[in-house]
Amino acid sequence: MRKTLLVLSLLSLLAFVACGKDPLEEALEKRAGGGGGDVATGPALTATLKGKITFEGTPPTPKKISTSSDPGCKNPNLVSEEFVVSDGGLENVIVYVSGGDIAGKRFPVSKDVVTLSQEGCHYIPHALTLQVGQPLRIVNNDDTAHNVHAWAMINPAFNESQSSKGVENTHTFEKEEVLLPVRCDVHNWMNSFIGVFSHPLHTVSKKGGAYEMKLPAGTYMVTAEHETLGKQEMMVTVAENGSADLNFTFKPKA
Amino acid sequence: MSRNASVAGSLHEEGENIGLHRFALFTACSTAFLIFVGGMVTSHQAGLSVPDWPTSYGWNMFTFPPSKWVGGIFYEHGHRLVASFVGFLTVILASWAWLRESRLWLRLLSLGALVAVITQGILGGLTVKYLLPTSISMTHACLAQTFFCLTIALTFFTSPTWKHGLPRVHDGHKGLALPTVCALTTGAVYLQLLLGAWMRHTQSGLAIPDFPLAFGRIIPAFANYHVAIHFAHRVGAVVVTAAIIWTFSRLVRMHRKDRLLIGPAAVMLVLLCIQLTLGAFTIWTEKSPFITSMHVATGALILGASFLLTLRAFSMVVREKAWQ
Repeated sequence: MRKTLLVLSLLSLLAFVACGKDPLEEALEKRAGGGGGDVATGPALTATLKGKITFEGTPPTPKKISTSSDPGCKNPNLVSEEFVVSDGGLENVIVYVSGGDIAGKRFPVSKDVVTLSQEGCHYIPHALTLQVGQPLRIVNNDDTAHNVHAWAMINPAFNESQSSKGVENTHTFEKEEVLLPVRCDVHNWMNSFIGVFSHPLHTVSKKGGAYEMKLPAGTYMVTAEHETLGKQEMMVTVAENGSADLNFTFKPKA
Repeated sequence: MSRNASVAGSLHEEGENIGLHRFALFTACSTAFLIFVGGMVTSHQAGLSVPDWPTSYGWNMFTFPPSKWVGGIFYEHGHRLVASFVGFLTVILASWAWLRESRLWLRLLSLGALVAVITQGILGGLTVKYLLPTSISMTHACLAQTFFCLTIALTFFTSPTWKHGLPRVHDGHKGLALPTVCALTTGAVYLQLLLGAWMRHTQSGLAIPDFPLAFGRIIPAFANYHVAIHFAHRVGAVVVTAAIIWTFSRLVRMHRKDRLLIGPAAVMLVLLCIQLTLGAFTIWTEKSPFITSMHVATGALILGASFLLTLRAFSMVVREKAWQ
């Protein structure tokens, strides 16, 4: 009898280990949406939202950055990336779904690795987005040391050294946080901004201020957020397999 | 005769240790330089440029190659090295005092300085480990000033001036006793340095971007706590200015011939003028790191001068009743 019980207990334990989910994975899945739906595939992203982030007025002249304090930077033409304006469009604006029909939808966590590179003593890209639980790879591609300092307020902050070329670290974030600055204290001009979301409906404006993202049909609150110019919100409706344009305009602060 | 004067008199017979005094003076000067270097770290926002502690990028602090001292690392690692040097000086100073000094209270004072410098080192490490929390960073900044005062006290108490017996001076003023005036001024300067540390470590240094006005007004609208902290530091500057002028004018009126008292007071007044100018230029240059660090260091020097004056006043000044 005792032997039978022992065997049954072991089998139960094996079954639990084999079928049970990693508690962290489970927590991330919960945060990845909330309501019903198949989290393995998520709602089909059949609609397209695109538009332009316009910068109104004369863009500020990019500030020249002296990298003379570190010969390893090898980037004499570095300029500030606070306002990158091309063809009248503002780059590095994080655009994301912040409300509306997103409620109750569950999305799988993307396994695609997002890379933040340190090259010529500046971050590439300057702004990026990723999902809660999605891996962020931070790599030093410079012939000098960097420290990677995430000034997180909601997620745990971290500060780690990357003493030489080729050193890399990978992080995941457990909670939504926009904007999460990443800075280098060795080169105090270096900064990058991250948006962490519980869903995949986010992107960053590129050349000409253009952005595009795929999303399920529905009516959404969309937010465009810039590191210094703040954020704007607009509602938009997109149909199944349809496309919608949504443009934002940012003005320099008085 | 006051108690302090009698203590000073009795020490006259104890012989001198001029070497210890000079070493204490050297430690005090090194500490002033260390405060400047610490200011450079904050001014260059380099406090976390070396993420590990007590190692530097995995290296032993003392073997970290100079070729890697680039950007903010130069300031942060340099600060660690200068701090280690001051710590080393303090170990020697305390050992020296413990072995050669007959005055128990002075030996205990040197031990206090040693405890302070060790605590300061640990706090420095904690600021790195916990990513510059304001409370620890502020404590680190304030303990630096306290430690500087301890080195000044050790310099003063080991000086031949103290050991030979300080001259006693008569304070016939009807109001507050001169030592009390000096102590109040020192307290005001210390509080002002605390406010300055609070301002620096909450990134409020340019919360009011214009000077001498504040957003074009005398009293600004307190839109956020940064403005409030910054403005408090400006009000503190007015209070400290008034306190120093009050102390100096009192000395000029009643003790102008007492070189040991008027000397540090005059130094304090000159430093105040420099400090106010540096404060203005800190704003006008949008916190140029060198100017800002000089402002921090000059603040420490004012505290040092005021503290020395206070020590001397307590040691020398005899109230009218005691004099009679």
